[in-house]
Amino acid sequence: MDKIRLENVSYVYNRGLPFEQVALDNVSLSIRAGCVTGIIGHTGSGKSTMMQLLNGLAEPTSGRVFLDGYDINAKAEDLYEEWSALPEYAHLSKGARKKAIRREVARRRAELCFRVGLVMQYPEYQLFEETVEKDIAFGPRNMKLSEEEIGLRVREAARFAGLDEELLQKSPFDLSGGQKRRVALAGVIAMRPEVLVLDEPAAGLDPAGRTRILDGILRYQRTTGSTVLIVSHSMEDMARYCDDVVVMGDARVLMQGERREIFSHTQELTDAGLDIPQITHLVRLLRERGVPLPENIYTVEDAVLAVQALFAE
Amino acid sequence: MKNVAFGQYYPADSPLHRMDPRAKVILAILYIVCTFLCKNAISFACLVLSALVLVVLSHLPLRLILRSMRPILFIIVFTSVINIFMTKGEHLLTPADWRIKIYAEGLWNALFMVLRISALILGTGIFLTYTTTPIALTDALERLLSPLKKIKIPVHDFAMMMTIALRFIPTLTEETEKIMNAQRARGASFSTGSLINRAKALIPILIPLFVSAFNRAFDLASAMECRCYHGDEGRTRLKVLHYRASDLVAVLLMLSFGVGVFFLNRLGIGPHLS
Ligand SMILES: Nc1ncnc2c1ncn2[C@@H]1O[C@H](COP(=O)(O)OP(=O)(O)OP(=O)(O)O)[C@@H](O)[C@H]1O
Ligand SMILES: [Mg+2]
Repeated sequence: MDKIRLENVSYVYNRGLPFEQVALDNVSLSIRAGCVTGIIGHTGSGKSTMMQLLNGLAEPTSGRVFLDGYDINAKAEDLYEEWSALPEYAHLSKGARKKAIRREVARRRAELCFRVGLVMQYPEYQLFEETVEKDIAFGPRNMKLSEEEIGLRVREAARFAGLDEELLQKSPFDLSGGQKRRVALAGVIAMRPEVLVLDEPAAGLDPAGRTRILDGILRYQRTTGSTVLIVSHSMEDMARYCDDVVVMGDARVLMQGERREIFSHTQELTDAGLDIPQITHLVRLLRERGVPLPENIYTVEDAVLAVQALFAE
Repeated sequence: MKNVAFGQYYPADSPLHRMDPRAKVILAILYIVCTFLCKNAISFACLVLSALVLVVLSHLPLRLILRSMRPILFIIVFTSVINIFMTKGEHLLTPADWRIKIYAEGLWNALFMVLRISALILGTGIFLTYTTTPIALTDALERLLSPLKKIKIPVHDFAMMMTIALRFIPTLTEETEKIMNAQRARGASFSTGSLINRAKALIPILIPLFVSAFNRAFDLASAMECRCYHGDEGRTRLKVLHYRASDLVAVLLMLSFGVGVFFLNRLGIGPHLS
């Protein structure tokens, strides 16, 4: 089942001005529910732009974005025909039906950013509250949850994001860059989104920080069964964390599919200015020299296991 | 906000774009004086002609120029109405027994005022906004006003502040947008609710914005000090402005246009501005 589907989506910045910029050019894409999908592509290929279309922050210049089969930018007038037949609207008079449909569309629209949680690229700048705890609570508070529930979610989100309990009472401005990043992540996780979209969550962090933040995201995904999209430049991260991979280049989707399938297209990836994971490359070279290793190895751990198995034989 | 380039500079390669910004400031001032010199139909006709020449020389799309007129539409309509109904003259157009009296002089006055205001906006727009980057403009003003340094007015420092402010407006706009988006992604809404709620909704935007603006300011100050910036004294420039022959010709043309208008006003033909 596709959680998210993009149909011929285009997005143009500064339309009609001399510095017009096509950021997405007729992109079609589907994202499987309950999977981790990695989005890679060189800088300026339109990844961030695409992420902002998913939770309704931006509306595509043309084309449609579906979440669970519902066009998130649909207008009430366009849905009127289709929905009139539904049991919840069929019994209403024409005026009341129009009103009810309009209300429902507005409700879905308002709820969208809670269902699709977006952590923007370099989210450190968005913190504003006096304490970390209050900042994480901003999202849940906007959802109009009870204080009790908010407290619960803040603690849960802090755990997922790898924030220590004692950090919660500190000012977010006194934290390190990596810690701020995790606070921002917790702020979105606290809304318990069914789709979690992360724009380069690990960019600019040290290896330990990377693993910590990405492991936390994976833990959230496994615990809640949500759908996760991760934009990243790192093939190693893609290989370790993602089930599916989407390759972008020059405002288009070049390839999409399962990890194994994508990484077998070495040449295309190189043409797109990307790389396969180094360990995969190494294993491929070894195989070419006659070492009988399995082909689909994407992480160092898998390689270690395979080599150990080889020696055990 | 997203689609407005700051300062409305329109990048193109036209004679006006290439002109020295100091010359353009001088030309703009002269042009404003000319619009006020115009007194009769012939000189106003010349003014319209000169405006057309400017439009052609600037290579700006007509659409952009018309759009720049939109904000003053109200003023234009207002002055026309005032002039049409308030001017007293000799040639009554409405029947004598009407309570509202419109004179031919009123119509002419209205037309002249509209032309004057439009030319004013068009001239300053073309010389100073659309063909000159704000940075070049500040630079030009600094150089033109530099004699004031003699009487201890810190022209350079004002110009530097202005340049920095202008330089950071697009950056801050972009940043505001990013922060708004980030907070919107967490369910903040800025356009609904009571006035108090809307004001409160600005807090999550303003605090991060101020924090980052201050950080930027400190960084910039350090960066400037690292490069030994110490004010105006002994500072040389990367982009040195040079007047060219064409700049001189343009200024002379504008001067002769002014003199021409001055003499055309003396011709007693056609309706006058009264
Ligand atoms: N606010 C904006 N205004 C105008 N153009 C923009 C804006 N944001 C992005 N663009 C342009 O749209 C294109 C796609 O940008 P986008 O930020 O989506 O790229 P990206 O794939 O996320 O790159 P990166 O890996 O560097 O984050 C780029 O060419 C960029 O210049
Ligand atoms: Mg990006």
